[in-house]
Amino acid sequence: MKGLAPLFLGIFGTFAFSWVGLTMIPNWQIGHLDPQMEEDGTDVYPQPQSGMVERGSRVYAANGCIYCHSQQVRADYAADDIERKWGDRRSAPRDYIFERPIFLGKMRMGQDLSNIGARAPAEQENVPPAGAASPAAQGGAAAAPPAASVAPTGANPSPPAKAGSPPPGGPAPKATTSPPPAGSPPAGAGSPAVHSASPAPTASAAPNPKAPPASPSPSAVAKASPAASPSPPAGSPGTSPGASPSSPPPKAPAGPAPKAPLASPSPSAIANASPGGTTSVSSGTPAAEARPVQTTGEPPMYSAAWQHVHLYSPRRINVDSNMPSYRFLYQMRRISDVPSDDALKFSGSEAPPEGWEIVPTYDAKCLVAYLISLNQSHPLKEVRSAAPAASPPAAPGK
Amino acid sequence: MNASGIPLKEPSVSAAAADAEQVERALIDASTRVPVLMFYTSAMAWLIIGTLLAGFVSFKLHSPDLFSDISFLTWGRVRPAHMNVMVYGWASMAGMGTAIWLMARLCRTVLRYPLLLVAGAGFWNLGVLLGVGGILVGDSTGYQWLEFPHYAAIVLFVAYTLVVSWAVLMFRFRRGEQIYITQWYLLGAFLWFPWLYAAGQLMLFVVPVQGVLQAAVGWWYANNLLFLWFGAIGLGTAYYMIPKVIGRPVYSYHLATIGFWTYALFSSWTGMQRLVDGPFPAWMITASIAATILTIIPVATVGLNHHMTMQGYFPLLRYSPTLRFTVFGAISYTVFSVVGVLISLRSVARYVNFTQASIAYSHLGLYAFFTMVIFGSMYYIVPRLVGREWRYASLIKLHFWASVYGIGLMTLMLLAGGFLQGANMENPSLAFSETTETVLPYLRGRSLSGLLLTASHFIFAYHFGLMLLGLGRTSTVPTFLNPVEAEGSEAHL
Repeated sequence: MKGLAPLFLGIFGTFAFSWVGLTMIPNWQIGHLDPQMEEDGTDVYPQPQSGMVERGSRVYAANGCIYCHSQQVRADYAADDIERKWGDRRSAPRDYIFERPIFLGKMRMGQDLSNIGARAPAEQENVPPAGAASPAAQGGAAAAPPAASVAPTGANPSPPAKAGSPPPGGPAPKATTSPPPAGSPPAGAGSPAVHSASPAPTASAAPNPKAPPASPSPSAVAKASPAASPSPPAGSPGTSPGASPSSPPPKAPAGPAPKAPLASPSPSAIANASPGGTTSVSSGTPAAEARPVQTTGEPPMYSAAWQHVHLYSPRRINVDSNMPSYRFLYQMRRISDVPSDDALKFSGSEAPPEGWEIVPTYDAKCLVAYLISLNQSHPLKEVRSAAPAASPPAAPGK
Repeated sequence: MNASGIPLKEPSVSAAAADAEQVERALIDASTRVPVLMFYTSAMAWLIIGTLLAGFVSFKLHSPDLFSDISFLTWGRVRPAHMNVMVYGWASMAGMGTAIWLMARLCRTVLRYPLLLVAGAGFWNLGVLLGVGGILVGDSTGYQWLEFPHYAAIVLFVAYTLVVSWAVLMFRFRRGEQIYITQWYLLGAFLWFPWLYAAGQLMLFVVPVQGVLQAAVGWWYANNLLFLWFGAIGLGTAYYMIPKVIGRPVYSYHLATIGFWTYALFSSWTGMQRLVDGPFPAWMITASIAATILTIIPVATVGLNHHMTMQGYFPLLRYSPTLRFTVFGAISYTVFSVVGVLISLRSVARYVNFTQASIAYSHLGLYAFFTMVIFGSMYYIVPRLVGREWRYASLIKLHFWASVYGIGLMTLMLLAGGFLQGANMENPSLAFSETTETVLPYLRGRSLSGLLLTASHFIFAYHFGLMLLGLGRTSTVPTFLNPVEAEGSEAHL
C-alpha cells in the first residue's frame, strides 16, 4: 500500500462507521425515553432513584455484584427466564432510564435480580391459599400486627405433605427445607431469648455449614416443594424440641402460634421488610419449583432482614450458595443499652458473643434498599406482560 | 539454506550490503532499548500481579468463604482488578512495547523523542496503579472493562496521548515509500484506541447516555478494544514475525489488503451480540451478529496468508521460540474467531449468554491469541535490546508448554462448564443453585489450569529477569529450542 492518505481515511472511515452505527443511531432511537404515565400524569413508571437507593447502586458497583448477577429478563421466546419466575415480562429499555450505572450483567453465577424487590414478602401472601394454616397466621398476626401481611406467608398450608416428604434425607435436609411459619419472622427478629426458645434455628444452623450431609437436600427440596413459598411444617420442630427429628406435618399449624407471642416484642425486622412489600405488585405467579426455599429460622425470603442475613452469611440461607459473604458491610459492636432494632439475629455458631450485636453499616442498608427497589413488574405499554404464547419482540422504540 | 533448513544467511544479499543493513538494524535496536524495555519490564510486573490476582479469583469462585471479612479482597473487587491489570497493565503495555519496536524497525529510522515514550510508560503505570487501587478500595465505576475510576482514566489518557503522538512523529521520519502490512495494523491500533477510549469515557461518564445504551456503549468499547486494539497489534506482530523468522516474504500482499480492510470494517461492528435478547432494538444485536459472522472473511484471509507463508517451513517450529509462540497465537486467532461466531448465534447464545463460556471467549482472544503472539515477539526482541541471548532453552520450552496446556485446559473447562451451566439454566425444573453447582467441577479444573499458567509466567519472568540483569548467553547464535548446527552468524531466529 502506498501513501498515507488512503490508509488514514480508511482507518478513520471504518471506525466512524461503527461509532455512528452502534452508538449514535441507537442513541437517537432509544436514548431519550420518558417515563410512562397515565394521561392524567399518574402511575409514573419508572421513577428516579431515591438517595439511599442511589447510594446502594454504587455499593453494588463497588463490590462487583454485576460479575455474578444479571438484571435483565429475556423474552419468553428467547429463553426461560420468565419460566424461572425472574419476571413476568421481558425487560425493556424504558425500565432502565434512570439507572446509572446500568447493571444488565453478563454472568449468572447468581440469580437474576431484575425483580428481586418484587419478590419481597408481601406479594407472597397472595400465593398460597390460606386454608388450614389460618389459625397460625392469625396467631402471628395477633402477636405482631405489622407482621400481619407477612405472617400468612409462612402459613401456606398446601405443601406439608411434600415438605414432609424428604424424610429419607434425614433430619438435616428437613432443617433446610423447613421454612419458618408465622412465628418465625418474629423469631428471626426476635429478642435475645431466641436461641433458647427455638430449637429449630439451631438445628438448621448446625447442618448448614456442612455441605456433605445437606447436599442431597436442595434438589429434593426444589422438587418437593413446588410452592417454594415457605411451608409450615418447618415450624413444627420449633414447637417441641423433642419432636423435631420426626417433624410431623400436622403439628405445623399449631407450632407457630405459641411462639408468636414470644417474638412479638420486636417486629422491626418485619417493618424493614414492608417497603419492599408496598412497592411490589403481585406477579400472580406461584413460586416456581426452582425457586429457593425459605430457610428455617430466618426472616421471610427477600425481606430486608432476609437480605441482610443473606449478605452476611449466604450459606446460612442456602447451603449450596456460591456467593461470597459480605461481612465487611456489617459491624459487630457492643450493645450499649438495648439491642438495635436492625441487628441481625443469629443463633448457633455465628451468633455474636453475649452483649454484642451485628448491625449493618449504612452501606449495607443502602445496598438492601437498592435491591428491594429492583422491580420491573409494572406493566409497560410496549411489552406484553406474562405472555404465555410467543410474542413478537417488543421492538422498543420503534 | 543449511542442513537444518533454517535460512541463517540470505544468499541473494551481498556480504557488504548485508553488513550495512546489520549495522543499521543494530543502531535502531539500540535506540529502542530504554523505552521498549521500560514497557516490557512494567508489563512483566503487571503480568505477575495479574496472575496472582487471577489465582485468588479462581479459587475464591469455588471456595467463597476465603477472606470474607476484608473488603478489598472480596471477589467482586479482585475480579475486575485482575481483569484490568491484565488488560491495561500487561497486555496493553507489552503490546505497546512490541509496537514501538516494530514501528522503529519498519520506519527504518532510529527512535526519536524517547522521552515521550518514557514519560508515557511512567504515566501509564501510574494510571493502572491508581485504577487498580481505586477498584480495590471500592471506587469501581461498575462498567465492565471500564472499571477504572475517572482519576485513573485521565492519567491513562495522558499517557496514551504521549505514546500516540510519538507514533505519529515517527511516521513522519520513516524511510521508504512502502508501508508494510504490520504498519497498517499498528497505525490503526494507535489511532483507534484513543478514539475508542475517549468515546467510551465521554458517553459513559462525561455526557452519559441514557439507560440501556450505557451497556451498549460498554460492550461496543470492550469488543473494539479486543479487536481494534489488541487484535490489531497481535495481527500486525504476527505479520512481521512469521515472515521475518522464516526469512521469506508474506505469501500475498493482496490477501493481506483484503484481510486488513474487512477486519477494520466488520470487527468494529461486533459487540452487541454479547447483549443478545437483552432490552435493545433487535437490529442492533442482529447487526453485530452479522458482523461477527462476517469476520470469518478476515480470519480466513489472514489464516490462509500465514499458512501459505509458512508452507514448507513448518519444521522450523522445532527450533525457533518466536515462531512457535507466534504460530500458536495465529492459530488461536482462528479458533477465537470461530468460537466467537458460534456463541453469537442466537440459538447458541440462548444457552451460553450468561455463562462461563463468555469468559472462555475473552481468554481465547486475550491470552491464546494476543498474549502468545506477544510472548513470541518478546523472545525475538529482548535479545536485540540487551545484547544477550536467552539463557536456557529448557525454560522457554517449559514456558511454552505450560502456557499451551494451561490456556487449552482453561478454555475447554470454561466452554464445557459454560455449555452445561447454560443448558441447566434453560431447564426451569432444575433449581437455580444446581446450575451453578454444575459448573463448580469445571471451575476447579480452571483453577488447575491457572496453576499451569502461573508456573509459566513465573518461569518467563525469571528468564526475563536474567536477561535484564545481563545474565543471558553471550553468543552470536540465538537460543534454539532444540540443537541445530548453525553455520552463519546472521541468524534471524
